[in-house]
Amino acid sequence: MIYIFFIITVVLSVVAYFVRNRNISHSLVFLFVIAMIALGLYLTGVAGQTLNEYFFSDRLGLIFYIILIIVSLFSAIHYVKFVSNRNVKTNDVAMHNAGTIFFTGAIVGVLFTSHFGILWAFMEATTLGASILIYHNRNQEALEATWKYLYVCSIGIALAFAGVLFLGFAAQQVGHVNFSFAAIKAEAAGYNTIWLKACFLLILTGFSVKMGLVPLFNVDIDAKDASPSQVGAGLSSVLMNAGFVAIYRFYEAFSSTSILPWMNKLLLITGLLSLFFAAVYLLRVKNVKRMFAYSSMEHASLVIIAFSCGGIGYFAAVLHLVMHSLVKSSLFFQVSQMHRIFSSKLDDNIGSYLRVNPLGGIVMLLGFLSIIAMPPSGMLISELYLFQALMAHNYWWIAIIVLLLVLIIIYGLAVKMLGIIFLKKSNARINMEGATPYESVLQLALIVLVFYIGLFRPSIVVESIQLAIQSLPA
Amino acid sequence: MVNFLIVVFIITLIYLAKVEMIKTYFSLMALQGIILFGLAYFELKELDVLHLVFILLETLVFKTLFVPYFLQRITKTHVHRHNNKPMKGYYSVLITGFIIIGCFMISYLIHDELKADADKQVKYFTAAISSIMVGLFIAISNRELVTHLISYLVIENGIFLLSIALGSEMPMFVNSAILLDIFTSVLIMGVFFNRMKDYFPNADTQHLSQLKD
Repeated sequence: MIYIFFIITVVLSVVAYFVRNRNISHSLVFLFVIAMIALGLYLTGVAGQTLNEYFFSDRLGLIFYIILIIVSLFSAIHYVKFVSNRNVKTNDVAMHNAGTIFFTGAIVGVLFTSHFGILWAFMEATTLGASILIYHNRNQEALEATWKYLYVCSIGIALAFAGVLFLGFAAQQVGHVNFSFAAIKAEAAGYNTIWLKACFLLILTGFSVKMGLVPLFNVDIDAKDASPSQVGAGLSSVLMNAGFVAIYRFYEAFSSTSILPWMNKLLLITGLLSLFFAAVYLLRVKNVKRMFAYSSMEHASLVIIAFSCGGIGYFAAVLHLVMHSLVKSSLFFQVSQMHRIFSSKLDDNIGSYLRVNPLGGIVMLLGFLSIIAMPPSGMLISELYLFQALMAHNYWWIAIIVLLLVLIIIYGLAVKMLGIIFLKKSNARINMEGATPYESVLQLALIVLVFYIGLFRPSIVVESIQLAIQSLPA
Repeated sequence: MVNFLIVVFIITLIYLAKVEMIKTYFSLMALQGIILFGLAYFELKELDVLHLVFILLETLVFKTLFVPYFLQRITKTHVHRHNNKPMKGYYSVLITGFIIIGCFMISYLIHDELKADADKQVKYFTAAISSIMVGLFIAISNRELVTHLISYLVIENGIFLLSIALGSEMPMFVNSAILLDIFTSVLIMGVFFNRMKDYFPNADTQHLSQLKD
């Protein structure tokens, strides 16, 4: 079934590239989303089971797959409106839709493969797909962002492959090399720890660009800024999740070895450094899209810090990623509308948004409350779990540092966001042509979902995450 | 023969550090392709025929012929025939030398961590890690976009050497993915490189500063 899905992905992607009728081109993306839903139903039926030599219906993968379907569907709807409002060439629409299908298909591969080599191959495919999407606007900014993204990602992915090869050297010492997760996990305890450490370090470095973490985060920020908002939404949500899943697979495989505390320390340092950079940049940023991009970096840092603590931290990390994906994609979609009204991405040129576009303003306000984890946002719950995990490890100093950095970030975001939503700006030039409030309804639905998860903590969400992380050490 | 090829490969790395003419990079890339072809031929004989032919084609057709030719094509109208280096060739060679010596020492230190034929793997390790590090050094010490492409290829060659040291353990699918990856990366980067020239005639990274906070 999964192979049929990949064949459908390639066929639809190629057809979308050649089709020059916009309606048919958009329909192909919706057709692809239907294929994703069909695959999702099949995979849910066989949850936790192995599909074949290279794929399995992993429970963690399934959680992020549902997010992928939601974001893909909303992106597709958003892109139809985006194209109708702008003078986008038919060729560019075809290229974008083909790239979207290819990119999404590659993420599906990352989520469900059970083989480290193939995981790497699909991650590389996401880079190529993302490059096509980032170049959508065909201007100097897009070109610069695409070049940087492609180049740095390629280097990062090459280093990650060196990490996979180091894992091969470790396996070679104790017998035949088999790169499947199950085989590596079963034998990893007997591997030489130097190889495992080198492997994990390179993997974390290489995939940091996908998750938006130190050291390769810059190009990710540029990409989210220069690409259309629906692409930024994808990079901030589903690609970040894919990067997390890739790091998670290696972590899980090595979690039974003696390098577990070392991996946790490395993740903690990476998370703290990323949080520090996010805080510093968020104070000085003026561009709304870059602001949300740095906010994504902040949340990726919190996820990694929570994950490094283990125990309840694992749960917090996955829950936080789920809710962040929904909120951040919603905010990026809204930025597109805002850009249409104010013809600017700079916060100095955007003001009184709640008055100008009331429903859009509500989305911005609720989205802002969500990303700063104000009640009743579900993200408050996951951040509380994060601090609980830090306290459980007696990481008091780290908890204080994290708290201080988060407060700086909240201040940086609040100054700009409240200005955008409430303050009247003399530079703001308003053009309501093409502004459609009904677009905001979909975005509002995503944020309401996050509020619902926060307030009611539905058992299906809690149990799914608990099942997904049950193989990790307690 | 293998020793000879590895030594020549390392010499190409030193030469890459002091290249002044852009086209010399392409010749060196082609030479590295031939060396990798030779190493793959001598080391991977136990592979099945299809797999071996695939890898030999990858090195000979792709790394030796296609990539250097393609890069030459896209830089035909390039304004700078000389590499506009911020660092003098002498210092680059010195640093590259230190990188290679450092990589040799690291490889020797991990000698005991390798499998039975560790002596052979140490040589591959030295060349592979040197290639990756020199590739990164070329990337940070040059401003020309074309040298960034070259640095990526040098890193990829280092990783290819690592995979030869590992032997025949990677499945065919992954090998195909690697080839496809390099092919598309070079092709896409080439396409973007051409677009760059429309905006920046001398394709220098200093111009890539539109995106900032």
